[in-house]
Amino acid sequence: MKGLLENGYRPIDSLQKSPGGRRWTFTEKMLLGLSPREYLNQVLRNPLNWVFAAVFAVGVPLILYRYLFGLGAVTHSSNDYPWGLFLGFGLFVMVPLSASGFLLGTTVELFGRKDFKPIERLALLNGLLGYFFAVVYLMVDLGQPWRLPYPMFVSWGTAAVLFLVGWHVATYLSVQIMEVSESFFEWVNWPNARAYIKRITIGLTVAGIILSTLHQGALGALFTYAPGKVHPLWYSENYLWIFYFCSSVFAGLCMVIVVSTVVKRTMAWRCDRNFLDNLDRITLGLAKGASMALVTYLVIKLIGIAHDNEWAYLATGWGRWFLLELLLGVITPIILFSVAIRRNMVGLIRFTAFLTVLGIVLNRLNTALIAFNWNLYQEIPHLFEAMISVTLFCVYLVTYRFILYRLPVLYAWQSVPDEVYAVELERGLIPGQELVPAPAYQRIEDSP
Amino acid sequence: MSGISRRGFLAAAVIGGASTLVGTPTRGWSANSFDGYPEGMGVLVDLTRCVGCRSCEAACNHEQGLPEPDLPFDDMSVFDQTFHHGTQKRRTDENAYTVVNRYEPEEGGAPVYRKIQCNHCNEPACLTSCFVNAYTKTQEGAVIYDSKVCVGCRNCMVACPFRIPAYAYSSALNPVVRKCIFCYDTRLSQGRPPACVEICPQEVLTFGYRRDLLKTAHDRIRTDPERYIDHVYGEKEVGGTAWLYISAVPFEELGFDTSLQREPILANAQDFLSNVPMVLAIWPALFMGFHRLSTKGKEREEESQSFDREEG
Amino acid sequence: MVRNWIWVIVSVLAMIFTSPGMSRSGDTRMPSLVVIDALSHLFDAAEFDHDLHLDFAESCSECHHHTTGTDVTDGRCLPCHDGSEALDTVACGKCHVAQPFSAEYLRKRQVEGSFYHIDKPGLKAAYHLNCLQCHMEMGGPEGCQDCHTRNETGEAFYYSGRFMPAGKQSGDGH
Repeated sequence: MKGLLENGYRPIDSLQKSPGGRRWTFTEKMLLGLSPREYLNQVLRNPLNWVFAAVFAVGVPLILYRYLFGLGAVTHSSNDYPWGLFLGFGLFVMVPLSASGFLLGTTVELFGRKDFKPIERLALLNGLLGYFFAVVYLMVDLGQPWRLPYPMFVSWGTAAVLFLVGWHVATYLSVQIMEVSESFFEWVNWPNARAYIKRITIGLTVAGIILSTLHQGALGALFTYAPGKVHPLWYSENYLWIFYFCSSVFAGLCMVIVVSTVVKRTMAWRCDRNFLDNLDRITLGLAKGASMALVTYLVIKLIGIAHDNEWAYLATGWGRWFLLELLLGVITPIILFSVAIRRNMVGLIRFTAFLTVLGIVLNRLNTALIAFNWNLYQEIPHLFEAMISVTLFCVYLVTYRFILYRLPVLYAWQSVPDEVYAVELERGLIPGQELVPAPAYQRIEDSP
Repeated sequence: MSGISRRGFLAAAVIGGASTLVGTPTRGWSANSFDGYPEGMGVLVDLTRCVGCRSCEAACNHEQGLPEPDLPFDDMSVFDQTFHHGTQKRRTDENAYTVVNRYEPEEGGAPVYRKIQCNHCNEPACLTSCFVNAYTKTQEGAVIYDSKVCVGCRNCMVACPFRIPAYAYSSALNPVVRKCIFCYDTRLSQGRPPACVEICPQEVLTFGYRRDLLKTAHDRIRTDPERYIDHVYGEKEVGGTAWLYISAVPFEELGFDTSLQREPILANAQDFLSNVPMVLAIWPALFMGFHRLSTKGKEREEESQSFDREEG
Repeated sequence: MVRNWIWVIVSVLAMIFTSPGMSRSGDTRMPSLVVIDALSHLFDAAEFDHDLHLDFAESCSECHHHTTGTDVTDGRCLPCHDGSEALDTVACGKCHVAQPFSAEYLRKRQVEGSFYHIDKPGLKAAYHLNCLQCHMEMGGPEGCQDCHTRNETGEAFYYSGRFMPAGKQSGDGH
């Protein structure tokens, strides 16, 4: 991409190929406005793609192997450890990291904090993809994935928390598809569909909060079925669902910080000025939100220990492991965030956000795998299981990148009518030759 | 503004309402303290009687049409088998719905044999954790499983406090959960005792109405207090189980989990489940309220600048 | 092992001093040999040498509870049956039913209800509990096939003998 940009490549960000000229075709849009040869060259030049290719070369056959020979062939899932990495990581980690969608939807649409608008779409997309891939992981893990619609249409197990999770994730996934479709409709130029989505945004957002509150919590509540199996320090009959919900707040916010950091570093060409210029300020704002959630989480975790009187466990080996998780994933981030926010150190915020994300990964893996069956024996996931998990994560990254390159998520789509465009062009309001466009007619609501 | 909001509110209300429909039956089901069906059958296991002949394993194998075992059922070397670095004894799996293990009591004396299989809870965790309702607690007391609707999430295995359900991990096309079903199809539903009970030479396993068996169990303890410890395992554990145990040796020495709660496992999730309808009912109004408060006055201005007008 | 040898010697001696066919005591109602074939689907009939066991039991009531009119030794029988008369028939199968868990039997007990004899084992368990318990205490044979040899169906049932799982090893193969 760097080479192309140096040669004057200008990414597609509007309907027309040139101001007032013919419109981009769908194929051109898919190829980012490059010729097929240029596109292919650009793909091949990127070393990251070779890494992905290597991962897929190993991982995709393994996934096929799993479907041909069953779960037993690729996982260490057993009768004692029914859930392995696919759910432990794929479901229990991906979902909290995807809370960003409902969080920024609420912030921007419901609370009217338009200053977070530039990152809203990234947060929504992050949410959608996280959930979607949680379902993908699930499809690999389910014994009979072709029966996934059964809890919806065939047989209802209404007393089950998982029933709630299933329904809410399915509904929320549809809500998120609708939310993200706004940018898709801009891209394919279906203004009416976009206008419709725009009109029901508030409804979608409220639905998003309800569904997220419930299923983020429900993931925690799932473990209340296994009281003796999850170590008491990670278990709380009364509060586990609140722990999960509360931690999803800072998990989602920190994930957006991490993703936006990666995006800024690796695809700045795709971001518009509005995004790039506002990112530091927004990052600071997100960090404030995250640290509030972190402090709350720390407090309620301590209440949880006190409520079930589990202090004695802290002195054991498991207790040290628990404290380490809290220290790395909660307490250190709280301290670092507070320093960084006070001194305006965006770099430190980004590092801390990354640390917090790791903390959440550790927490969920602890509950689902490591501290699960704590009084039985420790299970190490199968190598193939880890490789398939990594492969799916790479598919997630590729999909993420594919969408960010195309849909107006990091940049604003300039879909003004041709006449207006022509007039504005005439007035010299459009600096068409710049690599990174910052057109004056950009959504006015976006500017701070 | 109000137009948009009303629409938005309606949309939220519809989605919320739909989910309420989904969420509400939960309460009905989770109504407290189901003590089992009055005519429910059970089995009283008197651990003092078992001599470890493994005939029950053989009977189960034939009755349930399970595959040939690795070792003959009269091979007692299986009692020496351990797994996971010597920490685990044999357990039920897809090829064995019941397994007998040998324990050496701490205070010495003759070894004690313990048969494990599904305990057929009054309010089974597997059943209440299953999101496709694959499990049924029959009036006869059996917890049976419908493999035709099972999606394979294995939540039942996570939920079972006795670690009984096993999964056919080896199958690619039709992996299902396998566990003891109290010989429901072939015997219990026709008023006959399960195969293991029938074969047992020592009547370690006494089959009957659960309520009668409870009396029998307490009666045996009362008439021979020297012999038995004063605990009927399964009477209260996780809301009660159809299979009951009495023993001369403390249960925790025989691999029984004596830390189990008295309430059914579902009780733990009730805290959360009871909040579901509340969230569904309160959140829409609450957040619409926040929305109105925080965007009051700004809305009109924003509307006039809105981008989609030009498009629409 | 030593116990087993003692057992063999005692058995041989017992056989020498008993005439087969008729009971040593001369009581014609008392069988000298009881053939038990309740498990004939899996095992050959067990031949219970009643006369032989007379030497080991101190009293008939050790096995027959209160039914023989001898002094009752089981504490659970005493409250009601201290000094009870002998019954007409004392065969195990008279009281201990072969199918203790059949629906009919369970229903019958439900309907009749009873404060006594409520925990009465079935016939098979009556034999095994009584015999095996004593054999363990006295050092008698304890293995299944010490009393009844498995037949072909039994071998198949236990996957034993020539039905041994292929390619697998076991402690008591042939």
